[in-house]
Amino acid sequence: MNAYHVMLVHFPIALWSTAALIIALRAFSDGTLARAADRILAPLLLLGGLLGACGFVAGLLVWPIEAVASSPLARNHVLLASWSLGYWLLLALVRWLGGEQVWQGLWRWTMLGLAGLGMALQTITGTLGGYLAGNPSAVSEVMRRLGWEVFTTFYLPGWVLIFLGIAALALIALGAAGGRRARAITTERITPTSGLTVAQK
Amino acid sequence: MEAISWNKRSRLLAAAIGVFVVALGISWVFHGTGVVHNDLSRNIYIPKELTMPLQVKAAYDGEQIYFRYRWPAKQPHIYHDMLRFEAGKWVRYGDSEAGPQAQGIYEDRVTMLVDDGGVPEFEKYGGYIAVGDRMRFFTEEAKADAVKNHPYLGKKKNQAEVGKHLPETRTDINDWSSVVPEARLAAQRKAGYFLDLWHWRAHRSNPIDKSDDQVIAEARYGDKGKSVFFNNWDAEKKQPLFMLDPDKTGGKVALAWDDLANRKLGFDDVYYMREDQTKPYDAAHPWKADDVLPRRVLRAGEGSAADISVAGKARWKDGFWEVTLVRKMDTGSPEDDKIFVDQRAYTVAFAVHRDSMGSRWHYVSMPKKLGLQRNADIGAAKFQGTEPKWDQPWSEVQLFYPGQVSWPLLNSSKHAGAANIRQGVPVKARHSEIQLAHYGVEMEFNDEIQKQWRYTLLAGLLLIAGFGVALVLLLPRKEGRQ
Repeated sequence: MNAYHVMLVHFPIALWSTAALIIALRAFSDGTLARAADRILAPLLLLGGLLGACGFVAGLLVWPIEAVASSPLARNHVLLASWSLGYWLLLALVRWLGGEQVWQGLWRWTMLGLAGLGMALQTITGTLGGYLAGNPSAVSEVMRRLGWEVFTTFYLPGWVLIFLGIAALALIALGAAGGRRARAITTERITPTSGLTVAQK
Repeated sequence: MEAISWNKRSRLLAAAIGVFVVALGISWVFHGTGVVHNDLSRNIYIPKELTMPLQVKAAYDGEQIYFRYRWPAKQPHIYHDMLRFEAGKWVRYGDSEAGPQAQGIYEDRVTMLVDDGGVPEFEKYGGYIAVGDRMRFFTEEAKADAVKNHPYLGKKKNQAEVGKHLPETRTDINDWSSVVPEARLAAQRKAGYFLDLWHWRAHRSNPIDKSDDQVIAEARYGDKGKSVFFNNWDAEKKQPLFMLDPDKTGGKVALAWDDLANRKLGFDDVYYMREDQTKPYDAAHPWKADDVLPRRVLRAGEGSAADISVAGKARWKDGFWEVTLVRKMDTGSPEDDKIFVDQRAYTVAFAVHRDSMGSRWHYVSMPKKLGLQRNADIGAAKFQGTEPKWDQPWSEVQLFYPGQVSWPLLNSSKHAGAANIRQGVPVKARHSEIQLAHYGVEMEFNDEIQKQWRYTLLAGLLLIAGFGVALVLLLPRKEGRQ
């Protein structure tokens, strides 16, 4: 299964990398090429997610789960692969639902930042996979200098896990606050004569 | 209204990004903490340094072969296994224990395993093959009673714990007690299925310029003959067998605890007990508190057990030990020793004990190739004359703390590389020393780390999901909508 996993993961890597390039281009340009490329961004990201999920499942079949769960490097690979997949799917969702509005104001730079973090996650995941396949690279040295020895499992102490849970709830609360405000504003903008919103007109 | 709303939502978006980034930052800073810790009740002690260097040179003249070792150590530990007189009783200090000995009474050591091809797996996996099921000082070590009651290891060979042994001396590598029949063990030994173990000890052999000579087969044994030390303890009377003879030690009957605790005794002092400097223990002697008698007595040794000597003086100086050992290339004991032959290559692996730690708290090497005029990691220089010139460069060997990783584990479904072992892929093809050190430590906390890793994976996904929900809810509406 190792060979199939290696083959399969090249598709999301290519698709997500292309998506990141498009995001970078669109973040800095409103030109025709950037706008044209942006039109395929959402399908590109979704396809990357779909093939990424296939690669992920294939990866879990390479070794017995017991072996994966007992190897620091394999644990890290699974962890980063999960996060990469989840993260790029998040990006796909944002672009899909947000449409071209994601290139306005702060959102433009948010998209660029999200793409950058996605590329970082994908690079680390790929590097760890390379190690597991017997092809180590110097990226691990970069990680080491940044404070993570990739031969040790990336795990968090209990209090940080609780903090992450609280952070997740806080994020949802922030989103909900913005969402309620948006609904309230939309309701206000319904004209008494037509009963239609500006957008509907 | 719209302008205010836009600003507010931008602020909410910025706040969401801020929360996400802070969560990532905290995760990055505090990852890997909260699990790994010393726990002596489980035989767990993690050395502060996971790797250390060792330098090696070898030389031979056709009759004798020399090995010179050099390694860093903050200070020498030359005291070992002492009996201190306390409240009318002799109390032992410096026995094997988990982690460093509290009073620093545990000797430094350098060991070398040698094989000539008789143990094929050794060339690929080094000392890992000798770490069997439920070894001494592992968290799940075998009970002493079980070993003592084993019909062969306990009853016949006086073993009280599971020590290093070779895989094919067991019918099942996952069961330390499944020793193959004695006739087969004898045949294995005759066929060369054993590892020669050179074992230099800073207390139990160095003061008399000797090294212990051992062998690893179905257990770790001393070579035939008389070893270079024996125990100074009468278990029945619960007292030492010997005391120092003041006529031969400059007036000393015993050592003083204060001298040991404050490291006042150096290489040129009497800090050990030599057989020819002793006399029978006299219980009527007015022993006083803090008198100390070494629990080991050094002697010249005889036969194959005394084959290895120190060349010159092995000393610690300026932060480094330098030890040179010498042995006949052909000792005439082919069932105890690996015989060295010109133009042949051998596999060797090294280990160092320092910082007053014993048993499994050592630093080990991967297997290295030793060549007697053959291409190898360590080339033995051929010399003529009375002693080697030592003018060749050192061979640098990286040593690492191996943790609790056994041969049964490496061949189990818990090891992703088990299939590679079955295919004969050597350890060095897939792992570096620092990698093995970290893996060894993590294996000591495998269950706890697995659990924390699962939670971390889920917490990360939860954070991403939370961030996703926030972003989606804060998305700008299509043109004309807010």
